[in-house]
Amino acid sequence: MDQTMPFIHVEDLSYAYVGEDEKPIPVLDHISLDIREGEYVAILGHNGSGKSTFAKMLNLVVEDYTYAEGKIYIDGMDIMSPDMTDDDVLNLRRAVGMVFQNPDNQLVATIVEEDVAFGPENIGIPHPELRERVDRALAAVGMTEYAHHEPHRLSGGQKQRVAIAGIIAMMPRCMIFDESTAMLDPVGRREVVETMEQLNREQGITVLSITHYMDEAARADRVIVLSDGKVVLDGKPEEVFSRGDILHRVGLELPQCTAVSQYLKARGIPLDGVLNMPEQCADAIARAWKNGQN
Amino acid sequence: MNNIALGQYYPAKSVMHRLDPRIKVIGAIAYIVAAFLCRNVTAFAFLLLSCFVLILISRIPLRIVLKSVRALVFIMLFTAVLNVFWVTDATVEPLFAWRFIRIYERGIYQAVFILVRIVAMVIGTSLFLTYTTSPIALTDAIERLLKPLAKFHVPIHTFAMMLTIALRFIPTIVEETDKIMAAQKARGADFTTGSLTKRAKALIPVIVPLFASAFRRADELATAMECRCYHGGEGRTKLRVLRLGGRDVVALLLMGFFIAAIVLLNVFGSRYAWLFTM
Amino acid sequence: MKKKTKSIQPNRTDTAVGMNIVNQAEKPKIRLENINYVYGKNTPFEVHALDGVSLDIHRGLLTGIIGHTGSGKSTLVRLLNGLDRAEQGRVLLDGQDIWENPKEIGKIRFRVGLVMQYPEYQLFEETVWADIAFGPRNMGLMDDEVEARVREAAAFVGLDLALMEKSPFDLSGGQKRRVAIAGIMAMRPEVLVLDEPAAGLDPRGRHTIFQGIRDYNRKTGCTVIIVSHSMEDMAQYCDHVVVMAHARVFMAGTRDEVFARADELEAVGLDIPQVTKLCVLLHQAGLPIPVGLYTQETVENALLALFQEGKGGVRHE
Repeated sequence: MDQTMPFIHVEDLSYAYVGEDEKPIPVLDHISLDIREGEYVAILGHNGSGKSTFAKMLNLVVEDYTYAEGKIYIDGMDIMSPDMTDDDVLNLRRAVGMVFQNPDNQLVATIVEEDVAFGPENIGIPHPELRERVDRALAAVGMTEYAHHEPHRLSGGQKQRVAIAGIIAMMPRCMIFDESTAMLDPVGRREVVETMEQLNREQGITVLSITHYMDEAARADRVIVLSDGKVVLDGKPEEVFSRGDILHRVGLELPQCTAVSQYLKARGIPLDGVLNMPEQCADAIARAWKNGQN
Repeated sequence: MNNIALGQYYPAKSVMHRLDPRIKVIGAIAYIVAAFLCRNVTAFAFLLLSCFVLILISRIPLRIVLKSVRALVFIMLFTAVLNVFWVTDATVEPLFAWRFIRIYERGIYQAVFILVRIVAMVIGTSLFLTYTTSPIALTDAIERLLKPLAKFHVPIHTFAMMLTIALRFIPTIVEETDKIMAAQKARGADFTTGSLTKRAKALIPVIVPLFASAFRRADELATAMECRCYHGGEGRTKLRVLRLGGRDVVALLLMGFFIAAIVLLNVFGSRYAWLFTM
Repeated sequence: MKKKTKSIQPNRTDTAVGMNIVNQAEKPKIRLENINYVYGKNTPFEVHALDGVSLDIHRGLLTGIIGHTGSGKSTLVRLLNGLDRAEQGRVLLDGQDIWENPKEIGKIRFRVGLVMQYPEYQLFEETVWADIAFGPRNMGLMDDEVEARVREAAAFVGLDLALMEKSPFDLSGGQKRRVAIAGIMAMRPEVLVLDEPAAGLDPRGRHTIFQGIRDYNRKTGCTVIIVSHSMEDMAQYCDHVVVMAHARVFMAGTRDEVFARADELEAVGLDIPQVTKLCVLLHQAGLPIPVGLYTQETVENALLALFQEGKGGVRHE
């Protein structure tokens, strides 16, 4: 493939799973999109919008490929091709790591550091590199002091960070978070989201965060909204959030601050800047108010 | 809710905790062999003494160690009492005779010996295997010790992986069982009263969701493992490096000496050696 | 941690006073008296989950209990219907100790219905109908009564009757959740307790669930307690809010009373609603705006009023 192709290139991707009476039930409907290396992309959608299936396709872990059509190129590799060997699949999964929703169901070992080592062990990383990778990965998620703990005694957020470390230790170029914050409390969510951001900003890892939390999407570089297996919106968070009507129609809600500032703007109050977080929004409102006072 | 103890691993800093788990597995086996080799009072006394020495070395509090013995008290007493009444010796007068009951000196000795033997075996193996070795280290040791069997197509790695996952998920499943039982109790399920069949039936609302959830977990875990490039034991490296150190060699030597000492005590021991020639 | 606990203690007393003023006339549906609860006593994992908790839950209202994981709220929930028993203190239901007769604790569980976290994982029957009917049948009700209750409960959570003969295992996540909640509602408990009823659901799913619970509360007059860590949901749906922190009741009162102290909520690390946070920030920036607003609508109106006043001022000059 040519050099100019983006890191992930999806072309006319459709997918359906086999329903009760052997009939295909469509999940993804002719999706085409590109994701460049180093991007931080949030994929939004209500439950059943196809967002999780899309993520799983990128790692070839859907159950049945009978009704899979279209093309996915990752780093130039045509992963839907029948010529993919087992080694190719392993290489794909080294390049693109996945973190799932339920923190309990993705940890394998009874000791944190051994769980983190699981991936690199599988791809045959020798000592001393293996040790270094594990230590680095634990440090990257801030879990070094828990290296010898048992996973079941950790909080949800901590477990999820261990799961992330397990992927980082494989040194992927892209990480997919498949609703990895959905089962966490606010503290755990914050821990995980901050870790995601850090990985993207500091290590240049491409991050795809599948979620239905709008405030998480607000922090991404780009937001893609899926509904009924189609891309309905794709752009910068502020662009996507300016389409409150479409978001509402597909069962999503604007962050409260975005909604408030849109309400004020619609009534002629001049606010500028990105207004998805309380801090930004407060700044803009205070500025506008003080201008009005003078 | 999170305090389900896995096995009886007791974290402490002792030489025994630091030994290579493979050596500890061998040590446990050696200790059982030694206990069976004992033939006379001196040998048994030596065995009992070694037990105390092991407890001291392992730094496990005595009351914790005695807990594992307490679980077997009934069996031990039963065997001992049986021996007291069963052993006969036509060559000497019984110490005690009442109706058909005859108690001989030899019977008492034998009972005491058996008691010491069981106590020593229980304490020895639990010190080596459960108190000072975490379940995961034990699994690892067994996998490595059995590795030669892989040549004969015995799926050692798969078994070890299964064991690891089981160990990992036991606390999770225990917690989940507790939660489902609570949820069904909140819907009026009653697990404690009624006939046996009624109680068995009352478990259906617990077992069905538990299985459903176990399958779901298994499915998700399998996907997650695949995503982490799991493809069997081939070409896998291991984070945990087991390298025999000086203390392991010393421990191995000590075990050899220990068995030799028991054998020697048997031969040059005391006049009660004849007890076991029958 | 210890210091924090101490510094918040005075708040407990003054909110308690506030609460009494609000509901002096009526007796509480549930009263907790000085509850202590410790997990794993005498083990290395000992946790003091509840530390001298006293609390009134008002009859017929929707009360939200909010707090971090580990603040003691989940423990509290298990005490309310007698799944667990506190070693110290009493739980009074209509003024009567629920443990007065331990053999009758099963009856208490029918009076105080508990929906646990992720309740969809407790479904087990062959059909949705049978699963919802499990509780009512355990109560020994007649068939027609069971049927009426299943129908009513299904309607509250918005379950389509076409789903009733399906296996619960074939439903979507959100539908399963609603079946599980209906299973408790069908027992028509006097008090309905829900632990994180909307956890993990998307906005539409959350809205359906909360709306159903609120309808149930308004139409049956049954006391409802929702445990959650989502302040935004609490702000939108609850009448009263109890804030737990460090195994104690940190604040309790009406929505207005609690959110008026938004800054204190933030100080214990709780996520206040975005719009509340916005008001706090604007207030700090010197804008004349109250800090206790918690719904999007009130904040929008307050801000609009502010700007219109401002404009008026400019015009006068």
